[in-house]
Amino acid sequence: MKISFSVNEVPHSIEIKDENTPLLWVIRDMLHLKGTKYGCGKAACGACTLHVDGEAVRSCSYAVKFAEGKKIRTIEGLGTKENPHPVQQAWIEEIVPQCGYCQPGFMMATAALIDKIPEPTDDDIDRNIINVCRCATYYRMRKAIHRAAQIQRTTSKTME
Amino acid sequence: MKTIPHSIPIILLLVGGILMTAIYSRGVVSSYSSTTIPNNEVLKDTPFDKMMQVLTHERCINCHPNDNIPKQGKDSHPHYFGMKRGEDNLGFTATQCTTCHQPENNDYSGVPGAPHWSLAPKSMGWQGLDKYEIAKAMLDRAKNGNRSHDELVHHLTEDSLVLWAFDPGVDHEGIPRETPPISEAEYKAAVIAWFENGAIIPKE
Amino acid sequence: MAKEKKKVSRRKFLIRGGLGTLGVLAIGTYVFRNTIRRQIAGMVDTAEAPYLGNTDSPLIWFEITKDNKVILYSPKVEMGQGIFTGLAQVAADELAISMDQIKVAHAPSASGNLDDFATGGSTSMSSLWQPLRELAATMREMIKAEAAQKLGVSVGSLSVKDGIISGGDKTITYAEAATNVVDWDIPDTPTLKDIKDYQFIGKPFSRVDLRDKVFGTPLFGMDATMPDMLYGAVVRPTVIGATYIDADTSKAENMPGVVKIVKEADFVGVVANSMLEAENAKNAIVVTWDIPKVWQTQDIEAMIEVGKGKPYVIQKEGSPKELLKEDEKLIVSEFKSPIGAHAQLEPNGALAFVEEDRATVMMSTQVVKITRNEIAKRLELDEEQVNIVPTFLGGGFGRRLHTPNGIQAAVLSRAVGKPVKCFLTRKEEFQNDTFRPPTHHVLKAKLNGKGLIEAIEHNVSSGDVAWGSPMLPSILETIMGADLGAWRGGMIQYGAIPNYRAISWRVKLPFATSWWRSLGLLANTFAIESFMDELAVKAGKDPVQFRLDQIQDDNRGYRLKEVIKAAADKAGWTNQIVAGRAMGFAASTDVNTPCAQVAEVSIVDDEIKVHKVTCAMDPGLVVNPDQVKAQCEGAIIMGMSASLFERMYVADGQLQPTIYGPYEMALMKHAPKEIDVVLLQNAEAPGGVGEPPLGPIGAAIANAVFRLTGQRLREMPLKLA
Repeated sequence: MKISFSVNEVPHSIEIKDENTPLLWVIRDMLHLKGTKYGCGKAACGACTLHVDGEAVRSCSYAVKFAEGKKIRTIEGLGTKENPHPVQQAWIEEIVPQCGYCQPGFMMATAALIDKIPEPTDDDIDRNIINVCRCATYYRMRKAIHRAAQIQRTTSKTME
Repeated sequence: MKTIPHSIPIILLLVGGILMTAIYSRGVVSSYSSTTIPNNEVLKDTPFDKMMQVLTHERCINCHPNDNIPKQGKDSHPHYFGMKRGEDNLGFTATQCTTCHQPENNDYSGVPGAPHWSLAPKSMGWQGLDKYEIAKAMLDRAKNGNRSHDELVHHLTEDSLVLWAFDPGVDHEGIPRETPPISEAEYKAAVIAWFENGAIIPKE
Repeated sequence: MAKEKKKVSRRKFLIRGGLGTLGVLAIGTYVFRNTIRRQIAGMVDTAEAPYLGNTDSPLIWFEITKDNKVILYSPKVEMGQGIFTGLAQVAADELAISMDQIKVAHAPSASGNLDDFATGGSTSMSSLWQPLRELAATMREMIKAEAAQKLGVSVGSLSVKDGIISGGDKTITYAEAATNVVDWDIPDTPTLKDIKDYQFIGKPFSRVDLRDKVFGTPLFGMDATMPDMLYGAVVRPTVIGATYIDADTSKAENMPGVVKIVKEADFVGVVANSMLEAENAKNAIVVTWDIPKVWQTQDIEAMIEVGKGKPYVIQKEGSPKELLKEDEKLIVSEFKSPIGAHAQLEPNGALAFVEEDRATVMMSTQVVKITRNEIAKRLELDEEQVNIVPTFLGGGFGRRLHTPNGIQAAVLSRAVGKPVKCFLTRKEEFQNDTFRPPTHHVLKAKLNGKGLIEAIEHNVSSGDVAWGSPMLPSILETIMGADLGAWRGGMIQYGAIPNYRAISWRVKLPFATSWWRSLGLLANTFAIESFMDELAVKAGKDPVQFRLDQIQDDNRGYRLKEVIKAAADKAGWTNQIVAGRAMGFAASTDVNTPCAQVAEVSIVDDEIKVHKVTCAMDPGLVVNPDQVKAQCEGAIIMGMSASLFERMYVADGQLQPTIYGPYEMALMKHAPKEIDVVLLQNAEAPGGVGEPPLGPIGAAIANAVFRLTGQRLREMPLKLA
């Protein structure tokens, strides 16, 4: 089966036998973008979170056939070292990661959150950010989420 | 020496697992009140009773909660990770039902799915109601989304999210979820028959 | 280019004590083993950790690159603890280069830079503090010697800064000085700089791996790739004690994408073209297991009971046994902790490529050398023919001290002659973990007329933690009996109490139990420090003052008192309930690092809510205060997670649950909104950091709950009645 979609604004057309293959494995092993992580394969930990048409999606539980015609964004397309996304900038400022494995999933979830709620409260964060971090970097992460929202608000104001 | 076929569900283990879950997740269990109606009455064969065997099953009730918390599993425990109804029954603003649930069941992840996966509106909170109360609520246009009988029949027999109950997929261990006690065809026939006969709620 | 063979070594080595020494001591004195056991227990508890790897030559540690940077090849792995950053600071200071000029990479085993122990036990910085500075200073002098020759001036006339050597009116970079050097002369270890002269040590530098981790760079074992790579899957037992007998693979053989079914004497696996095809085929294999017994939770609980198994006295002062006879003054309390899973986010696995006379294995491991030796043994290769290329770890916590997954990937690769990547699924992780053993504690004490403790005793029953690990000499197990991981944190730290003892009851459980960040510290501290709180209440004393009053006047006691006072001061300690919130206090000493914590707790919707944790810790000299704080913050929340939520159980032979969610863990919403860390530095060298702050949190929360509700919670995970 042929499925077409874009990843980080690059169009891809893939040929795949099992159309129910989780998007995660297509992204990681066919398109070689390793930033999206396998943590549980059961949509429980959030390490595989990416964006599909701007919405946070757990890609281990998303059959690739549903990606037809969609715009996918992964951590590799969030920002660059030269031009980091506000979430990445905030993560750097607060020195959030420890082992780092779960962090792309958290950052993608956060990017979706501050797009929809530009000034999230602690309650907004508690409700929407429900990924699992075993190093338990939650304390710095909360600070970084508030900071990311602030950077994004400032940036979008400047652009207006 | 015993032989255990790999990845083939073993009923005993399944039952054991559920019992043990109930025993050992006290923290979770104690935080909500039990909602399933004890099904100790003699099962009758009327269209009403047949229909209600489905509508009172946890496959239906888990997403018709009387609070804002979706339920999961045979023991109807609160949805893990604190997922709740949200403003429009679709979850929270950025982390929605569809962050994990897609239009179909996902057999790889064990995450169930169907089109427009969501909680039933609060007015349709059936959890904790008996079958007569559910029927009353279902016919009440103030609670049922202002649906006529025809529209109700359509919803109950055609809506893919409702009918998901008969094809609920597998869980995170690959074990098939339990389906309601009667088949989809029997259920549909019962719904149609009950409405054709005037949707009369029997006396308790 | 500076990685050439050394010519001569005139280097003198400082002989350091260590576990090797303990082994020798132990053999010679086997007959006095009760006394010796307590002495060794004391040594293990207080001694500085030695570094057990090769420090002969700086050339296996450092590489100077053409752009005048230095790569430090670390035998310790980066699993989140920030060790690469700390080691970079330490090395850069003695190398006289800037922080921008140092990079840190994992040392592949083929480089010969191997650690005989492991990355674990909070020992990485404390053990490398001295040898790494010596190695860096030696490397610097070696480069200077080459520079002197190239510049034609004397070494004594040279000065160095930021990787540039100046002599007279000439300058030369490290890279230029090192160019074309084949035979390096390794001098005696130079005098190290004075600590006050260090520019980087002690400063809060950002993590050296931060940007890679923020931009999704492939770093982890699971991200590793090789050309023509295939994917493997291994059928793993779901039932405790199951031994592989045979497998029916007929159905799997014809599944899509299957390259080969691999049947070994001890396992069956499959190699396929994709991860998913390998998994699907694996699930079609029907294995016959030998299952001697179907275990249940109650079987395990019945085994873990003080009084059962074999007791070992690991600490004794005065006459506690005689004084703690049963009468109306005897106070007895019991506590329990459950089976804990590591639940690290990156599953175990490996990417292996086995060729005829060599093997390359890329993987996350905490025991590079042991992993290499085990794979070599299985493949019947020489150890030097196997190269382990360590990757960044997606969490360690002790889960990667046991690495059969490396062997499995290697065996699959050998069977197909291609690189094979093979990982555990999450369910397999949960059911094949090396768990934190459950514990049962019985504490006894008597108070004297002044309301102080006259005698106290801690009994802990636990499954094994350290024994059976290839990291430790088995002679230690013979001598010690008591498991040194199980009683970590289990000794009485209030040395002014006249009579005390600690007894470890050893139990062998039917499933694998092992090191879980801080080992026995969390459970032992939960028990002892909850009991201390109980005794303070019985004595009618303030729990903080009650502790301070019973600490001995020596250096260890001084450091413990200082962290207790600092935590209480910083938290604004009060014994009163203020605005619905109460404070709970606890302290512990682990790997010579005392730590005290105050938890500020309320009850919200019938659940325990931790609002704020104040932590004072004295790990000695702090190399990177920001990362030490990060370790405290993470350890506090991870310890909270284990104390409030986590629990594995056994149902019909299976360890359950097998997924996050049902295995309940702390999430963002549970994390305290305030964590206040105070670092004291009352020792000259760096001590352990990664585990000590995990100690007090469980007891601190439980003690706060008692103040709020009057309920003394005696079992983790802590749940209100």
